[in-house]
Amino acid sequence: MKRAYRFFLLLYPLEHQDQFADEMTAVFEAARAEGCMRGWTWYMRFAFAEMNGLIAGAASTWFTQRFRHKPAPQSSGAAASPCALPQELIDAKQRVDLNVAGMIHAIATHQFAKARFHSDEERQARECLRLLQDKYEIQG
Amino acid sequence: MRHVTTTSETETKPLTEPVLLILTSLADQPRHGYALLKDIEQLSGGRARLSTGTLFGALRRLLEDGWIERFEQDDTSRQKQTYRLTAAGRRQLQLDLERMKQLTRAGFARLRTSEAV
Repeated sequence: MKRAYRFFLLLYPLEHQDQFADEMTAVFEAARAEGCMRGWTWYMRFAFAEMNGLIAGAASTWFTQRFRHKPAPQSSGAAASPCALPQELIDAKQRVDLNVAGMIHAIATHQFAKARFHSDEERQARECLRLLQDKYEIQG
Repeated sequence: MRHVTTTSETETKPLTEPVLLILTSLADQPRHGYALLKDIEQLSGGRARLSTGTLFGALRRLLEDGWIERFEQDDTSRQKQTYRLTAAGRRQLQLDLERMKQLTRAGFARLRTSEAV
């Protein structure tokens, strides 16, 4: 169960995983331990709600991260404008987003092999994006 | 065209239920994740039980909005962060509770009127 939970946590943006994954797992473990004493019907409901909550939470976090208004950076140089980003960087970002969307869809439709494929692809795409960001000296 | 939410819009927008429950739970004392889950269950009389995905999604937004903050304690570890309300979060909670109080009052008044007819 903990392994499944950890797997579903991979759906979240890396930044969210860094910040909350350990804490979420600890809270989940504490709740699960308590749930074991409440009987199996309660436990099944709990497990279902948790997995649903993770999928919905991951989708909402990605959505918020992508579309939420963020205050403009202090410096107003050309590098701050998205129009000034090199094409290969935009392509790399799109590849990450596509794989995340594919992973969320695959998990929602219970295609776990496909989800794992997208997860691996996303990791590679993110690494590629990080290298490009280093190359162009752009913060992620 | 992207819709940009202004501060005044955010302040007048009603809080979602998980956010309202989290802010209410933190109103009297700082709490960590599991304590929040338990307290929210108790606050709602067992009706609301947040999943960890919902809880930490809401906590993340509240941290970004500056309505709550992490509170360092002696036993603070990565697995056990404690959260507390900021002044902005407290103000927001008060605004929303006031709004609910007005709505409750108006609702009961209308019920009484319809029963009297």
